[in-house]
Amino acid sequence: MLNWMKLAIRNILRNKRRSLVTLAAIGVGFAAVSLFRGYTDNTYYGLRESAVRGEGLGHLSIYKAGWLEKGKLDPQRYMLSMEETRQIIKIVEEEKEVILATPQIQVTGLVSNGKISTIFMAQGVIPKDDKTIKGTWNAFRSIKGESLDDKKDYGVEVAQDLAGYLNLEPGKDGVVMATTLDGQMNAMDIQTVGIYDSGSDATNDKFMRFNYAFAQALYGTDKAEKIVVLLDDWQKTESMRTVLSARLAQAGLACRIKTWKELSLFYAKVRGMFDMIFLFLFSIVLIIVVMSTVNTMGMAVLERTREIGTLRALGLKRRGVSLLFALEGGLLGFLGSLLGMVLHIGVWALIRILAPTYTPPGVSTPVPLVVNLVPQSLMTLMICLILLSLTAAILPAARAARQNVVDALGHV
Amino acid sequence: MSLIEMKNIKKDYFLGETVVHALRGIDLQIETGEFIGIWGPSGSGKTTLLNLIGAIDEPSEGTLLMGGREVCRLSDNACSELRNKTVGFIFQGFNLVPVLSALENVMLPLQIQGAPVSEARTKALGRLQEVGLTDLVAQRPSKMSGGQQQRVAIARALVTNPSLVIADEPTANLDSETARMIINLMRELNEKEQTTFIFSTHDQRLLDRVKRLVRLEDGRIMNGGAKPC
Repeated sequence: MLNWMKLAIRNILRNKRRSLVTLAAIGVGFAAVSLFRGYTDNTYYGLRESAVRGEGLGHLSIYKAGWLEKGKLDPQRYMLSMEETRQIIKIVEEEKEVILATPQIQVTGLVSNGKISTIFMAQGVIPKDDKTIKGTWNAFRSIKGESLDDKKDYGVEVAQDLAGYLNLEPGKDGVVMATTLDGQMNAMDIQTVGIYDSGSDATNDKFMRFNYAFAQALYGTDKAEKIVVLLDDWQKTESMRTVLSARLAQAGLACRIKTWKELSLFYAKVRGMFDMIFLFLFSIVLIIVVMSTVNTMGMAVLERTREIGTLRALGLKRRGVSLLFALEGGLLGFLGSLLGMVLHIGVWALIRILAPTYTPPGVSTPVPLVVNLVPQSLMTLMICLILLSLTAAILPAARAARQNVVDALGHV
Repeated sequence: MSLIEMKNIKKDYFLGETVVHALRGIDLQIETGEFIGIWGPSGSGKTTLLNLIGAIDEPSEGTLLMGGREVCRLSDNACSELRNKTVGFIFQGFNLVPVLSALENVMLPLQIQGAPVSEARTKALGRLQEVGLTDLVAQRPSKMSGGQQQRVAIARALVTNPSLVIADEPTANLDSETARMIINLMRELNEKEQTTFIFSTHDQRLLDRVKRLVRLEDGRIMNGGAKPC
C-alpha cells in the first residue's frame, strides 16, 4: 500500500502546474467554507449568549399550562401562584445540572418623565438572580449607572433610546403606569438607576427592567409569569426539559417548558439564514472541487493510457487501476485540504490582529468580526473534501479501468 | 501437456464497416523452454498473435489453452492473475513507468501480486543484477539509455519467474551492439531457467539465434507451426 501511495504522490507531482491549480481550487474552497463556518460558529455563540443571558431567557422557561395560548386574555388564571412558584423552584433546583431557577414577570404600560409619556415593556427580575443569569454578558454590554438592587425597589434600568427620549438619566425620577390584573389603573414612581443597551434597535426605545417585587406591585399581583432556569451547560437544554417535565407532572403541576431556542425567534431566523448561506457556499465549493478533480484525473487518465495498459498487462486488475486513480484523487483532496487549513489559520490570525468590527442589521452597536477555530469542523470538512475528491476521481478511474489492454498499449 | 495450444484461432477487427481478418485460423503448439521467433511482413498478424498468447486480447474464434486452461473462459480478474503469474512482457517501447526507479519498476509485478516489499525488493535486485544493472537501481527510466531501459524491462518480465516471456520487437529501438547484448541475455536466461521466450521480430540477428521460427503471412502460419521434433 505504501508503494502505491508513493506512486500516487509521484503521479500527482508529474504535472506540477495542473496539480497546483487543483490543489489551489480545493484549498481556497476549503478556506472559504471553513472560515464561514468559523464565523457562524462565533455568531451562533453570540446569539445564544444574547438570548440566554442578554435577553435573560435562561435555558428553560417554565409556564403554567395554558399561559402561552390564553395567558394574555386571562392572566390571573394562567399565572403561577406563589405556592406553585415555590414548589416549582424547589423541584427544579434539586437537579444538579440547574444553577438557578428564578421567577420573572413581564409588564407593559406607559412611562413618563412628568412632561411626556411613551409605552414601555419591562421585565421584572430578582436582581441577584439576574446578575447570575447575565454572568459575563454584563462585561460585553455594560450599564451606564448602576444595576438593579434588591434594596431599592423603585430603582429601574432603562434601555438607552427610551432613556434618551424621556431624558431619564441615572438618578432622575419618573412615573410608570399600567393596568393591574384586576383592571384598575395603577401608577408608581420610579428612579432611573442605570441605562443599558438592549442590543437591538427595535427594543432599545421600549425596554425597561424592574425589580420583581416592583413589577408585581405595578400589576397588583403576587403571581409570577414564568420561572427561568439556568443550566450549567446549554447542550443539556433538551434533556433537562424532558427530565423537568416529567418531575413537574409527577408533582401534579401542569406546566409547559419552552427552551431558549423556541423563545428567541431572532436566533432561529439568523441561524436559518446562515445555514442556508452555508449550504449555498458549500454547494459551490463542492462543484469546484468535483470539476477540478474530474478534470485533473481525466487528463491524467488520457495521458497515462499506455501506462494503464502496461499495468494491466503486468496483471493489475481493473479494480486496482480504479483504486490507483481514486487514491490520487483522495490525495489531491487531502493536500488541498491541508493547504486550505493553512489559509484558514492565516486569515484567522490576520483577523485577530486587525480586529475589524461591523454593525449587523438591527443591532445597535458595532460588533467585532470574530472567526472561531473549530477543529471538529475543520476535520469534518477535510474528510468531506477527501471523500469528494476520491469520488470525483472514480469516474475517470472507472473509464481507465474499462479500457481494452491492447487499445491502451497502442495509445500514443 | 503443451504450455500453449492454439486451435483454429481467428481474430477479426472492425474498422467502421470494414472487417480486417488479422488471423485466419492459427494452429500452434508451444512447449516449455522454447525460444521462438515469429516473423513476417508488416500486417501479417505477429503482434495480434502475441497479444492472444499473452492473454491481453481475445480471439474471435478458436480455442487457446495456456497450461491446459482455456483462456477465453477466464474472467477478467482470473486473466489478470494468469498474466501476472505466468506471463512476462517485453515491449518494443520498453513501457517502463516513468515516475518509478529501475528497482521500483522491477518490483511492480510482485507488488501487484501482493508480495511483501522486502521480498519484492530482494527478488528485483537479483534480477537487476542478472541483467547487469546493479549500479542503476535508483535511476529513473528518463535517465537511462534505450538498452538499459530494455534490460530493466527484461528484469521486470522475469521477476515473477513466469513460464512464458512475450517480447514484441524487443530490439527494434536499439542500436546493433545493444541489440546483440539483449539477444544474448534473453538466450542465456532461456538456457539457464528454461523460460519460454516468444518474440516477434524483423531483426536477422535475433532470427539467427532462435530455436524455432514461425513465419506468418496474411494471418496464416506459412511454416514453423508444427511442434519441433
